[in-house]
Amino acid sequence: MQRLTATPLATRVAFLVTAGLFGVLLFAGPALAADGDSPKAGLIQAALVGLGYYFSNSPWIAGNGGFFGLYRPLVAGFIVGIIFGDPVKGAEIGAAINLLYIGFISAGGSIPADPSVAGWVGTALAMAGGLDAASAITLGTAVGLLGTIIFFTRMSVDAAFAHRADAFAEKGDIGGVSRANWVWPQIFLFIISFFPATIAVYLGANVVGDAITWLGTNAPWVLRGFQIAGGLLPAIGIAMNMRFIFRGSVMPYYFIGYILAVTAGSGINIVGIAIVGAALAWIHVSLMGSRAMQAREA
Amino acid sequence: MTTPEMGAEKKLARSDVQRSFWLWTFFSHANYNYERLQGTAFAQAMTPIIRKLYKDPEEIKAALKRHLVFFNTEPNVGGVIHGAVIAMEEQRANGADIDDDAINSVKSGLMGPLAGIGDSISQGTITPILLSIGIGLAAGNPNVIGDGNPLGSILYFVLEVGIMLGLAYFMWMQGYDRGREGVMTILRSGLLDKVLTGAGVLGNMVMGALTYQFVHVFLTLNFKIDVGGGNQTDFDVTGDLLNPILPGLLPLVFTLLTWWLLARRRVSPIWLLVIYVVIAMVGAFQFIDNPNCPSILHEFFQPECNPAPAA
Repeated sequence: MQRLTATPLATRVAFLVTAGLFGVLLFAGPALAADGDSPKAGLIQAALVGLGYYFSNSPWIAGNGGFFGLYRPLVAGFIVGIIFGDPVKGAEIGAAINLLYIGFISAGGSIPADPSVAGWVGTALAMAGGLDAASAITLGTAVGLLGTIIFFTRMSVDAAFAHRADAFAEKGDIGGVSRANWVWPQIFLFIISFFPATIAVYLGANVVGDAITWLGTNAPWVLRGFQIAGGLLPAIGIAMNMRFIFRGSVMPYYFIGYILAVTAGSGINIVGIAIVGAALAWIHVSLMGSRAMQAREA
Repeated sequence: MTTPEMGAEKKLARSDVQRSFWLWTFFSHANYNYERLQGTAFAQAMTPIIRKLYKDPEEIKAALKRHLVFFNTEPNVGGVIHGAVIAMEEQRANGADIDDDAINSVKSGLMGPLAGIGDSISQGTITPILLSIGIGLAAGNPNVIGDGNPLGSILYFVLEVGIMLGLAYFMWMQGYDRGREGVMTILRSGLLDKVLTGAGVLGNMVMGALTYQFVHVFLTLNFKIDVGGGNQTDFDVTGDLLNPILPGLLPLVFTLLTWWLLARRRVSPIWLLVIYVVIAMVGAFQFIDNPNCPSILHEFFQPECNPAPAA
C-alpha cells in the first residue's frame, strides 16, 4: 500500500497557512466575541464538538466505531448537526466535506490530513457561520490540515508510554503493561484533542460568522470562489480513491457509472447505481473465473 | 526458553480467545506511536492468554517482553496473526518446541503482507464504497435544496462498523483455529482476488456516479466569431462546444486530469488543494463588467452566462 505523504514543502506551506489562520483566530476571536451580539456557538455546544472529536480518535467505541465511524465527516457532521439543532443540514455539510476524504487511507502511521477535525470542527464552524455545503468543503479542508499537527504530536509523545510498558514487563506486571497501553495515552490524547477543538469552535464560530458577513458586502467574489472550489475539490477526493481502484479491466465501469448518473439524472440515486454495480461485479467476476478456468484446462 | 512442563494440559477456553480479541479490537490504536506503532496494543491483547498459560514469573516477564516489540498491521484483517500467535503460545505452554524466534517470525513475517491486503480491503474498498453510498444519500442532489437524507450517515455507520467487526472476528478465529498454515491457505486462494476485483467494479461505478453528482465545473467563455460579410456571432465554449458532445463533459475531464496528476505525475494532494482553491478564486473574480455574468467559472450552470448564439 502506498503511503500518502505530502512533499515536505507542501506540508510546510499547509502548516504555515493553518498556523496563521489559527493565530489570527486566537487573537481576533475574543475581540469579535466581545463586540458581537451573542456567541454563535455556546460553550456547551463547543465542548460537545470537542468531546466528539476526542471520541473519534479514541478506542472507546469498539475501536472500529471510532476510526471507521465517528472519524468520518459523514458521521461527525450528522452528530454536529444534532448538537446545533439541524441534523439534516449537518449531515449535508459533513457529507460534502467527506467527499474530499473518500480516498483517505492511513497506512504505517502517516496521514495526509485529518478527516476527523475537518468533520467535527469544520462542520461546526460552517453551521455557526451559516455556510452552504459547497463552501463548507473549502473551510473543512483548511481545518483538516491542522489536525495532522495533533496526530504527529500524539504519535511522537506516545512512544514514552511504550517505555513505561517495558518497565512494567521487566517486573512481570501484566496489569501495568495493559494500563501503559490504554490509560495514560488516552488521558494525554484527551488533553491535546478536546481542548484545542473546543476552543477552535467556541472562538472560531464568531470569526467565521463575522468574516462571512464582511466578505459578503466587501468581496463577494471570495464567497463565490468558495462555492466554485466546492465544485472542484471533490475531484481530489474521488481521484485519491481512483488511484487504487481505477486500473486494469475494471476501468470501464467508472465511465458506465458516470454516464448512468448523467442520463438517469434524478431518476436514479446512489443506492440504485450501487445495486447495478453489484450486479455487474457479479457478472464480471463470473466471466473472469470461467475464463481463468478455461486457461488452466487448456 | 521454556521448560516443558509435565502435568495437566493447559487449554485456553474459547472465552479467553474472545477476551483477547475484544482487547485488541478496542485498543489496537490506543497507544499508536512512531517507535512501536501497535506494539503495546499487541501485548495488551495477549494479557488474558499470558495470565491463563503462564504461572512462573520469569515466563510471564518473557512473554510480556516478547509481545512488546514493534508491530503494525491492519487491525481487522490482520487479526489472523493474533489468532495464529495465540495458538502457538498455547502449544508452547504445553511443551511444544516453539521458541521466541518462531513466534516473532510469524508476527513480523505476516504483518507486512496483511497490512497491505487489509488496508486494500478495509480502507481501500469497503470504506469508500459505503462512504459513497452514505454521502450520496446524505448530501442529496445539489440541484435540489434540502434533498439530503441524514439516514445516509446512520446507514454508513451501522453497515461499516458491523462489517468491520464481523470481518475482524472471523479473521481472528480463523487464525486461531487453522494456525499459520491456515493463514497462508486463505492468502493463496483465489477468493481474495475475486472479491477485490468485484469490489473494483462496484467501486468504479459509484465513483463515476459521485463524479457527476459532486464535481461541478462550469466555464463561461464567449467569443465573437466572424461569420463572413462583416457579421459576427457569439460562440460559447460550454454551450456550443462542450455540452453538445456530452452534458457534463468538463467535470469528467477535470476529474480524470486530477487522477492523472495524482497517480501518474505524483503531484501531492495538498498542492492540488492549494492550486484548485486559487483557480476557484481567480475564476470567481469579476474581470469583465457584465452584470448578468459575474465570473468565468461557476459551480452550477448559469443560463444568463450562456446565451443562445445569435443566428
